[in-house]
Amino acid sequence: MKLKTVLTTAVLGAAFAAPGVGLAQQKPAQNPLDVIPEKMPFDIPSGTSITLDRAQAAIAAVMAEAKKRDWRMNIAVVGPSGRLVAFARMDGAQRASINIAEHKARTAALYRRETKVFENAVQQGNLLYILTLDDVIASRGGIPLVEGGKLIGGIGCSGGTGSQDEAVCKVGAATINK
Amino acid sequence: MKTKPCLTLDDCKKIGAAAEAEARKNKWNVTIAILDDGGHLLWLERMDGATPANAEIAIEKGRSAAVSRRSTKTWEDRIAGGRTAMLKMPVLPIQGGVPIMVQNECVGAVGVSGVQSHEDEQIANTGIAALG
Repeated sequence: MKLKTVLTTAVLGAAFAAPGVGLAQQKPAQNPLDVIPEKMPFDIPSGTSITLDRAQAAIAAVMAEAKKRDWRMNIAVVGPSGRLVAFARMDGAQRASINIAEHKARTAALYRRETKVFENAVQQGNLLYILTLDDVIASRGGIPLVEGGKLIGGIGCSGGTGSQDEAVCKVGAATINK
Repeated sequence: MKTKPCLTLDDCKKIGAAAEAEARKNKWNVTIAILDDGGHLLWLERMDGATPANAEIAIEKGRSAAVSRRSTKTWEDRIAGGRTAMLKMPVLPIQGGVPIMVQNECVGAVGVSGVQSHEDEQIANTGIAALG
């Protein structure tokens, strides 16, 4: 209890002091988020949902690649709505990654961009506000499926490191994305 | 230590193929979900024409059947029979979720959504029967 009080005072003290120091000593830097781009980002129109056959073919491609590397993955394919079209868990794949794979696929489809974009924003751009947006997952391994310039779904893989997930996910996405 | 059987991906594909064949035979477009005994999704397919909602409902029926180790019809029947308080139970009490019993053990469940509830269950049962 005593320790907690001390910490709270220290944190609050720093928060109050900081703006004062900034104003007195330097002009505030321009906020990069104030820039208004001319065009919409990731402006991909929605198409009709990926068919089951092609979703299963994409999953089969991922599983073949994972098997080659002796990795165990969960693979999810969703339509433009973000809901599952097909899913498979390879024997022995980490159970926590079942939902993560689906989440990556959904986020890739709904945000029309690779989940790596969010990972980079948080990790390299230090844009932590990204984590307050709805249904974001800031981890690579989710890729939108685009055909003829239209979004037909998303694919997500999870089970290993983000880099492993992405490596096999790319193989599945390549069955659609040309 | 007690040991029990465990569904493999190959088992799931066998169940899924039989369930899909039953659905196709009747020209039904459904989602078929197969889950393990903890209610974790192992395999899913949403046939062309089934709705996005079907995908969620099939998983929820299967999860309910897996973790309660009984068909979701038993839940539906008990509530319809007047046990209204059971609506607060953490399961989806709608027919179409069936546990997979092997050697008297529940190893998982199949959940189906897309047509009438008794037809959903028929598809699930056909899939499970293929396991032998």
